[in-house]
Amino acid sequence: MLLRVENIHKSYGAVEILKGVSFEMAPGQSKVIMGPSGTGKSTLLRCVNHLSPPDQGRIFVEGEELTAKNLNTMRQKVAFVFQDFNLFTHLRTVENVAIGPRKLRGFSKSAALDLAYKELDRVGLSDRADAYPAELSGGQQQRASIARALAMEPKLILFDEPTSALDPELTGEVVSVMNKLASEGMTMLVVSHEIGFARKAADEVIFMEGGKIIEQGPPSQLFEAPQQDRTRAFLNVIEHGGDA
Amino acid sequence: MIFETLISQMPYLAHGLAVAIGLLVCLLSLGLVLGLILAILEVYGHWSLRLACVAFERVFRGIPAIVLLLLFYYGVTDYIDMGSFTAAVLALGLRSAAYQSQIFRGAFLSVPIGQMMAARAMGMNKLQAIRDIVLPQALRMSIGPWTNEFSSELKATSLAYVIGVVELTRQAKYIISNTQGNILIVFGVVALMYFVVNRAGNWALYRLENRLALPGFEHRGDA
Amino acid sequence: MSAWLDFAMEHLPYVLEGLPTTLGLWISAMAIGAVLGLALAWARIYGNRPIYAIATVYVEIFRGTPMLVQMLFIYLGLPEIGITFDPLTAAIIAIGLNTAAYQAEYLRGAVRSVPAGQMTAARALGMGKFQAFTTIILPQALRRVIPQWSNEAILELKYTSIAYAIGVTEITARAEKIGYETFQFFEVFLLIAAIYVVMTSVVAQLLQLLEKKVAVPGL
Repeated sequence: MLLRVENIHKSYGAVEILKGVSFEMAPGQSKVIMGPSGTGKSTLLRCVNHLSPPDQGRIFVEGEELTAKNLNTMRQKVAFVFQDFNLFTHLRTVENVAIGPRKLRGFSKSAALDLAYKELDRVGLSDRADAYPAELSGGQQQRASIARALAMEPKLILFDEPTSALDPELTGEVVSVMNKLASEGMTMLVVSHEIGFARKAADEVIFMEGGKIIEQGPPSQLFEAPQQDRTRAFLNVIEHGGDA
Repeated sequence: MIFETLISQMPYLAHGLAVAIGLLVCLLSLGLVLGLILAILEVYGHWSLRLACVAFERVFRGIPAIVLLLLFYYGVTDYIDMGSFTAAVLALGLRSAAYQSQIFRGAFLSVPIGQMMAARAMGMNKLQAIRDIVLPQALRMSIGPWTNEFSSELKATSLAYVIGVVELTRQAKYIISNTQGNILIVFGVVALMYFVVNRAGNWALYRLENRLALPGFEHRGDA
Repeated sequence: MSAWLDFAMEHLPYVLEGLPTTLGLWISAMAIGAVLGLALAWARIYGNRPIYAIATVYVEIFRGTPMLVQMLFIYLGLPEIGITFDPLTAAIIAIGLNTAAYQAEYLRGAVRSVPAGQMTAARALGMGKFQAFTTIILPQALRRVIPQWSNEAILELKYTSIAYAIGVTEITARAEKIGYETFQFFEVFLLIAAIYVVMTSVVAQLLQLLEKKVAVPGL
């Protein structure tokens, strides 16, 4: 297994957000985590690379346990794409993509830039390489941040609601980049309500509520024939455009 | 007559100005390095370090520059041998560090938390993230308030007069004693020299700020 | 440490005899600065061209040159043209004129931060420009300026020590005198430093209380 998540618990103060979550991912798999807001999906994602260290439970990447000691090397294998992009404000787009290889992977400056241009090309942003983040649209910023993740040549990319800070007309460009990555065999764990992406690209959908996994399975099964009432109720809400 | 005196004394004033600027550069450099360290410890350090930094700041901002100068020149030289120039650099430099750390701390805190998070998520350690991601942004934002600190320390160099550093104001005093008069004109010229250096420094820093400004974060007018 | 405490207790009374001079100098200078600063701020906001220009030149000169030079100019220079002051008066004038320039700038910023609609509404009621300024704009601006004004007041309290350079026997001068009598310079300047830290902390606390007291919801 590429990723093994074992019995994760996490509380903020007195509130228990995650109540024992476990799952596994094989190389090349894509999984989408869905569920009502406030249900711990983003917290779970942050626990996977210890942006919020779990209170209890263990994370294994390629069989090696994630600890405080190997944190920084492990994070280079597990890239993270943020809801609000978090591109580095003071760096041009291409420098944003190059900084990881340059500073963390020991690339020379020119090799890092070459790789950065290649990854920008992959997300269709070559023509904006010299722009600063503030000069990009939201969709472009998110694609640039995906390129930044790709430049680490990670084993796995975590996506934390990558389209929810975007205007509806800009989500398409990001989703199509994600579709492309999935079809190229990138391993992806995605918190998102993009049903289109889940149907097309996900191998499995995980439905979470109240800090627990309620149901998981291939998208065809989960969307067409959900076993649990709560899954059905949730899908009903998002498919009819309600606020989940 | 007055102008002849002024022209004949100009080399002394020029030398005094050079000493004043030398003092300014030294004290601002000391303040910059120490102020940055204090700010980083205050924002990212353990609480005990934070407490020590805050105490340092409070003390050095609470004591008048003149008292610090006297304390370092008359007081500390009882224990450590140093000249008046060195005493002035230490006294004013440590005080400037306290003020500069406030500027840098504000700048660090105004860098959105997501920048640090994205750097850490990529696998950078805390030090790398501070150095490569947060610091370049914070320094840019510091230039504006730092310009005020520059002005205020330029003027503070004149206080080194009281411990006998032969800077611009002390030279003026000597000229007045030696030439028996010309007090208004000499102090007028000296004031003008401070004024011009201040303006030139402000202008240069303003240029720097604009040159380093990022798209979307340009200077908000009102120089 | 205890040796220092004994030393401090022995000489504290003599140093503190200078406290009325320090505080008197501070309060008088701040008062001059407040009145003159208000006039300068008015001139910089509402004045016609020549008045604006004069006020601007004043502010630039006093903010662009060291206070010590200004003080020496007044104390040593003005007697050349027949205007003579004793050291304390010269110090009060110098610090007062200096802080006026800073207070004017803070006040001007505060006045400009009062929404334009306030002036329009006052004029719509039939108030004259000056009346609208004093009854509507100024009370709001003064509340907004308190934090900056507090900083300025604390800064000036420390700057009163500069008067020592022209021979005013305030607390710093008294400390130096003890230094020369006992040759315990470090001990005595440490004492005076502690006195300033205590004074500035007390003043900061008092001014914070004032700020809370005059606070208006939503301002």
